[in-house]
Amino acid sequence: MDQVLAALDATWRILLIGILLGAGLPALFAVGVRALAWSGTDGAPTPGVRPPLKARLVAYLCFGVAILAVLLGITYIVLHGFGINVTFNGVIPVFTPKH
Amino acid sequence: MIVTPEFILLSLVVLTALAFDFTNGFHDTANAMATSIATKALSPKAAVTLSAILNLVGAFLSVEVALTVTNAVIRIQNSDGSPRPELIADGGYALLLILMAGLAGAITWNVLTWRLGLPSSSSHALFGGLVGATVASLGWAGVKWIGEGTKLDGVVGKVVLPALISPVVAMVVAMIGTRLVFWITAKLARRYQESGFRWGQVATASLLSLSHGTNDAQKTMGVVTLALIGSGHWTSTTEIPFWVKLACALAIASGTYIGGWRIIRTMGRGLVEVFSPQGMAADSASAAVILTSSQLGFALSTTHVCTGSIIGSGLGRKGATVRWGVAARMGLAWVVTLPLAGLVGAGMWWIAHLIGGIGGGVAIFAIMCAVALYLWWHSKQDPVSHHNVNDEWAESADAPASVSGGTN
Repeated sequence: MDQVLAALDATWRILLIGILLGAGLPALFAVGVRALAWSGTDGAPTPGVRPPLKARLVAYLCFGVAILAVLLGITYIVLHGFGINVTFNGVIPVFTPKH
Repeated sequence: MIVTPEFILLSLVVLTALAFDFTNGFHDTANAMATSIATKALSPKAAVTLSAILNLVGAFLSVEVALTVTNAVIRIQNSDGSPRPELIADGGYALLLILMAGLAGAITWNVLTWRLGLPSSSSHALFGGLVGATVASLGWAGVKWIGEGTKLDGVVGKVVLPALISPVVAMVVAMIGTRLVFWITAKLARRYQESGFRWGQVATASLLSLSHGTNDAQKTMGVVTLALIGSGHWTSTTEIPFWVKLACALAIASGTYIGGWRIIRTMGRGLVEVFSPQGMAADSASAAVILTSSQLGFALSTTHVCTGSIIGSGLGRKGATVRWGVAARMGLAWVVTLPLAGLVGAGMWWIAHLIGGIGGGVAIFAIMCAVALYLWWHSKQDPVSHHNVNDEWAESADAPASVSGGTN
């Protein structure tokens, strides 16, 4: 029973963070994709025409955050591989060697 | 160097472990790359090449020693990773035989599920094989069935509960992600929707491949090093020999490059029709769930998560149909992976034990090779390769031969 409770405890955390990152980031990326088509015709950017500055800013900001998230993911995998634990004290990552 | 019977057995164990790593690679190419191949974000060849390189890099990144990998489910190692003294008394024969039989069980199951085009978990197959071989050798008490207190451990905490929970979590996350993405981009042209998301899809798929390399290659490195320690060819429990790391990295990367096209086909085309935005949502959900779980020490199977995500992405897109018949076949394969790999592992151990000595090890090695070769030869009847991996899914033709008599 303790095992089931421990698993459920992990479950809601994974679900919460999963929804935040796993669903939130593609949604953000989608906002970027949509922004680039703002001034376009037929639901796509007009070929050869630069989208307005405002649209580009929104799009690059969205893509930037998404790319940053992927880079953080890679950093996390690499640190774990080298035996360093990353814990999040609030939002500030703390690095400690594993034993 | 004197070639003792133990040395020959050790060589067979190392060879078998590398073969398992290879099957692990081609079994799991689909996890990261199935959706990118299905949406044509990457050509099939480019996808497996990218995935193989990232697996290779990932395998080298795992500097930390995964020597205690078997401790999750069986009791053949001390907590520092060194083998139990009673198992290495006879030049390591007892330990080597358990590892050999367990690995042979895992490989047999992996090749069989590949033949059926089913994505089953390689780590479950490995754990199953080892559990079976351990029960046959040490009895039921040799297996750690359930963890103590609230620390998730044993067969229940590390295998059964995560297998029940992780696909559902991934499914929910992917469903929400897909729904959001299609809602946000609803007014866009379909063609632009497809091209806009490709880069995002490739990036998330790459993240999945890298994470796979660090996690899965490590398991085999742990098993090989355990065998080396057990037979007295290595002593450190904090380091692994470089050649072991190199060999395991190459084995998993070449397996990934070969590509388990049957499994890629089932996951990319069989479950649900995948479009680029949906593929990116599915891959992001998988990556988020896998990395979060690894942070919380929740041991899950990449295969289960990725399949759950793909199904969820189908549930999230209006007008998509999930082929539940295919999903049910997969679910069945997941349920039986541990017990059946265990039965094969136990059977292999008994055969080797009855023959005795080095002959026993050679015999189960030969049986394993024969089964794998037969299944490979059998697969020539309906080859799946990078040429036809993306063909239209036809339920009658694509249903595995053994269950095609059913109504679905």
